[in-house]
Amino acid sequence: MTLDDALARHWDAIVIGTGIGGGMAGRRLAERGLNVLLLELGPAGYRAEETALDPDIFDPVARRVRGFWPTPMQARVDGRDSRFFGPVGGGVGGSSVFYAATLERPEPHDLDDSAEKTHPTGGWPVSFVQMQPYFDQAEDLFHVAGGQDPLSPVPSPRLRVPFPISKVDSAIQSRLRANGLHPYPLHMALRRVEGCKDCLGFKCPKRCKMDGRSAGVEPALETGRASLIDRCAVRRLIAENGRVTGVQAERDGRVVTFAADTVVLAAGAFGSPRLLLASQQGGLANGSGMVGRNLMFHLNEMVAVWPGRSVAGGAGKALGFRDLYHVAGDRLGMVQAMGIDVSYGEIVHYLNQLLERSPLRRIGLLKQLTRIPALAAAKVFGNAKVFVGLVEDLPYAENRVLLDPGDPDAIRFEYRIRDELLTRRRRFRRLIRKAFRGYRKMFLGFQPDLNFGHPCGTLRFGTDPETSVLDADCRAHELENLYVTDASVFPTSMGVNPSLTIAANALRVADRIADQFERKPDATQ
Amino acid sequence: MPRNDSRLTSGVAVVTGAGAGLGRALSVELTRRGVTVAGFGRGEEGLRETADLAGDKFMPLPVDVSDFAAVEAGFAKVAKDLGDPVLLINNAAVYPRRDFLDETADSFMATVAVNLGGAVACSRAALSGMVQTGFGRIVNISTFADLHPIPASAAYSVSKGAARIFTRALLADLGDRFPDIVINDWMPGMLATKMGIPDGLDPAQAAIWGAEMALWHDRSLSGAVFEMDREIPPPRGMKGRIRDALMLRRPVARRL
Repeated sequence: MTLDDALARHWDAIVIGTGIGGGMAGRRLAERGLNVLLLELGPAGYRAEETALDPDIFDPVARRVRGFWPTPMQARVDGRDSRFFGPVGGGVGGSSVFYAATLERPEPHDLDDSAEKTHPTGGWPVSFVQMQPYFDQAEDLFHVAGGQDPLSPVPSPRLRVPFPISKVDSAIQSRLRANGLHPYPLHMALRRVEGCKDCLGFKCPKRCKMDGRSAGVEPALETGRASLIDRCAVRRLIAENGRVTGVQAERDGRVVTFAADTVVLAAGAFGSPRLLLASQQGGLANGSGMVGRNLMFHLNEMVAVWPGRSVAGGAGKALGFRDLYHVAGDRLGMVQAMGIDVSYGEIVHYLNQLLERSPLRRIGLLKQLTRIPALAAAKVFGNAKVFVGLVEDLPYAENRVLLDPGDPDAIRFEYRIRDELLTRRRRFRRLIRKAFRGYRKMFLGFQPDLNFGHPCGTLRFGTDPETSVLDADCRAHELENLYVTDASVFPTSMGVNPSLTIAANALRVADRIADQFERKPDATQ
Repeated sequence: MPRNDSRLTSGVAVVTGAGAGLGRALSVELTRRGVTVAGFGRGEEGLRETADLAGDKFMPLPVDVSDFAAVEAGFAKVAKDLGDPVLLINNAAVYPRRDFLDETADSFMATVAVNLGGAVACSRAALSGMVQTGFGRIVNISTFADLHPIPASAAYSVSKGAARIFTRALLADLGDRFPDIVINDWMPGMLATKMGIPDGLDPAQAAIWGAEMALWHDRSLSGAVFEMDREIPPPRGMKGRIRDALMLRRPVARRL
């Protein structure tokens, strides 16, 4: 569809952003009969691409073409400014085309408040039980395969049978069990079609890895009721009398305005609040003052584990466990295999990234020096498997996304690591060390490692318009036709990867929109 | 490391400069191995002779690679009649022995238009199909003439040197996105052709290596330089040599 064709139509819904949130909302809306226009800042690209996210590519044009976010993040963490290329996508499918396809369910206590496990915000406005059918649907639509978590009180009935694990993973599983843990096959959104390349960390050329593109945008377009305009930067939402009346965007230097009954904002936890802040002085839908605030990440605790020389076999992203998820009142998170062979290049890159964020970063020569320890590490790490534990981050209003007056697309934020997070982190590390007892192991990194690929919370949903931006249906309290379906809505960051919850919530919100649409008498064509 | 990759041998190749010399020999060798070859060339007569030698699997197309519109039309015809090419051999080149003082800017750039422009135009056209499937093979027939230009070779040396840079630049743009579009340079050596030297190598012998090169599909070949039948390992600095020593690695040159 050409830009002029899209402008000539009045759409039932416009979806801004085509990551998992936008893709799944677009798919559900189109499948429910609505005419949907998907707007994507970056390019559609070529389906056969196998591009991996590469922070060494710094030219903004080269980055955009590859579907990377074109410009560096501008972070102020604990008062210190740094610029770096974060793990954020900027094309059709968003960051998810590069992701590791781990679609894990949250725990009931991630959403619900209870006497034993009090919730930091008093609970999400939607309970775990209300979300459950949507977790099931999302697992189904993403072809999630994996094992039941032995610790979970709630089964996942739509999970597909997990793929057999390697000898080395099986040995680790036995050892973890002997250590009193409850490992299970991770929940992975890979269909493993013939010729599957295990596209974890790079674009899948086969529609085998299920992501925002393959599970969202493409099925949406296949309905014939959805259209996509790529390379289209939405600059402003125009609102009048409590409604969004126009979506102003820029494409190839041309400024245009699209019109739709409903607008679904899914530009990601960095992009969605930025658009509201840019739309009007003080921020659109910002009576609560919460637009852009409560920014959360996860802390990554990466640990290399040597399974020993007796068992050979490649690294699989096969196992996870939740024994450390919530320990004696502390919200921690799950531990999972990263499924990577720790190679020379990755270690160099990893060490350089650590350096980039440390006070030593000004000494340029050090960057070259990291190659030497990396060499040694390559020898030592040889057959180590890397596990990562996610530590839940809690919402604080001071942690927030900001506008860069010079560049409307720049990702800028300020964030302070709280003492309570550091305390939980220390505890988590102790517990991880204990969990892997009997193995030689080593934590990769000493400083707290924020996962900038898991941003959330910046347009939180809630029941109180004073403290939240969106209502329980993820509709703006102040605008009757503006919905949000990305990780911005999360009141808390949970102890798992955000993807499944983003997908499930997008399906839920899209259902609400479609229900209302069906109730309109003139919407039956 | 599939040699004679069946996706290539059963596919369509475009060989430029197919009406004479190495291009003719490559066309004959490739068709002998089952490849359908569309041969681009300027002279209809030369192409006809190649067709006589190569047989039914050869489709002659009178295309001057420095005429970019003709290149585009040629590829459109190949796609329509035979299917999208999976293999491109950028072979067409001219080597006008000419002192620089006998060149005009126009005559110089006319050489560049063939030797560099032809490779650019044909690669661009061939990639249109290749990026749809993510699979393909491009071999640029290359030379070391750029390293130490000899007298009366300015336009040739400059344009062939630029073509080598073009290979690397193509890979900078495509290598990480389309790792199965394998692109590299092959130096056939001094041949007994019109462009080469009288006591040079028989182009039919070089074409055996060239066909072997072109039908070898391996991601690690991208950016590799082969001369005649063996790989020229990339030049390494002190750091690289130390690293190899530390890792007990020795670069192994591959053979065709």
